Amino acid sequence: MARRNYYDIDDILAGQERVPCVLRADLDGLGSAGSGGASKVHRNARWALPYWMADRLNEEDYVDMEVSPVFSKRANRMYAASPESMQLRAICQHYYQFGLQLGDMVPEIPHVLRNMYVQRVIKVARIAQQGQNVEALDFVQSLDKTETRMLKLCQQAQSAISDWHKNQAYALKRAAVVSAAGS
Amino acid sequence: MAITTRQTEGFTMPELEYLAQNESITIVPLHRMDRIELVRGAIGPFRPPQKTVVPLWVAIMLKRTNRCRIVAPKWMQYEHLRDLYKREEQPDAMFTRLPIYYLEIAHMLLTFAEDDLVESQGIRRLLQDLREVRQSKTMEGLRMLNSLQLQMDNLSMAEINEIRPLFGHSFDMLRQLDGLAQATETEQQQSQFADQSYAEMDDAFGSRYVH
Repeated sequence: MARRNYYDIDDILAGQERVPCVLRADLDGLGSAGSGGASKVHRNARWALPYWMADRLNEEDYVDMEVSPVFSKRANRMYAASPESMQLRAICQHYYQFGLQLGDMVPEIPHVLRNMYVQRVIKVARIAQQGQNVEALDFVQSLDKTETRMLKLCQQAQSAISDWHKNQAYALKRAAVVSAAGS
Repeated sequence: MAITTRQTEGFTMPELEYLAQNESITIVPLHRMDRIELVRGAIGPFRPPQKTVVPLWVAIMLKRTNRCRIVAPKWMQYEHLRDLYKREEQPDAMFTRLPIYYLEIAHMLLTFAEDDLVESQGIRRLLQDLREVRQSKTMEGLRMLNSLQLQMDNLSMAEINEIRPLFGHSFDMLRQLDGLAQATETEQQQSQFADQSYAEMDDAFGSRYVH
């Protein structure tokens, strides 16, 4: 089981991603939960369930979970080919977290993720250093949550040093209460 | 306790400045003073015009009240910095040797003791150039990131602090991925279909396969 942080909001949100499943048993009265209106759902019907649900039901053998299209074989080949031009935000906002959770099911995931991450994070660091310009805007809009957080951290680190150089690291100002009381 | 994001990701620059003020520096005191015993050591005695070695915070304090003149440290001479810059600019060079708090010390001296430095504008410019070259080198170091170890000698404290969030989180991510890869590897070695998946992985990713 991949490392899961029970209280981590990003983990929870990442687990919300839908995976296709095949029902193994007839379920009564749950038809409205799926995409149909019928009250009975037959076995071998296909359903898209959130990963956290599908994982548990898979263990209990109520469904057969299949690999999400985000990490299908075709998708993995695309990721390996051109990591930097992938629109991760469109594909899956919590791409890396979701990949870590699916890691048991798909053995190529560590490679794919590692490849993606190392290449993209280099670009992220370069953008943080040189400031954003027009070409970088497209890339920045395609980052997923983890990467945007990394970008923000890098930018903060950069601005911290340059602010400090200009002696603007902190400003001591008189509190409004004090100046109001004094006058 | 209220704490900002920047404080959780490492030191803040004012904190580093505070830490840097413990470094020693040579001054020429302008007034006579007897020995003072402080907790971390003794200051003085001051017998002008003899030079004495004091911690940086004492030097800054005295300088601000016009009681001393600061002698620029050896590494902060214009020629030395220029040589360092030339050496740093050569491709594939390691980071040059600079004191671990060089950025902070330089900043404080340039702010408070500019009249004691020769060619302060040149020094400012050189320090800026030096910092940019070193920054581009750390970016290249990012390329060599793996989950086990990364060695970059002669980085100063402020620079380490700057790259700490990025490198730290990247290390974490890579370690998680490695742990996952190992878990699935042992799982597969115990299953029947090991050969096929290894071959597939080799085809798809070539020599990037981690043994």
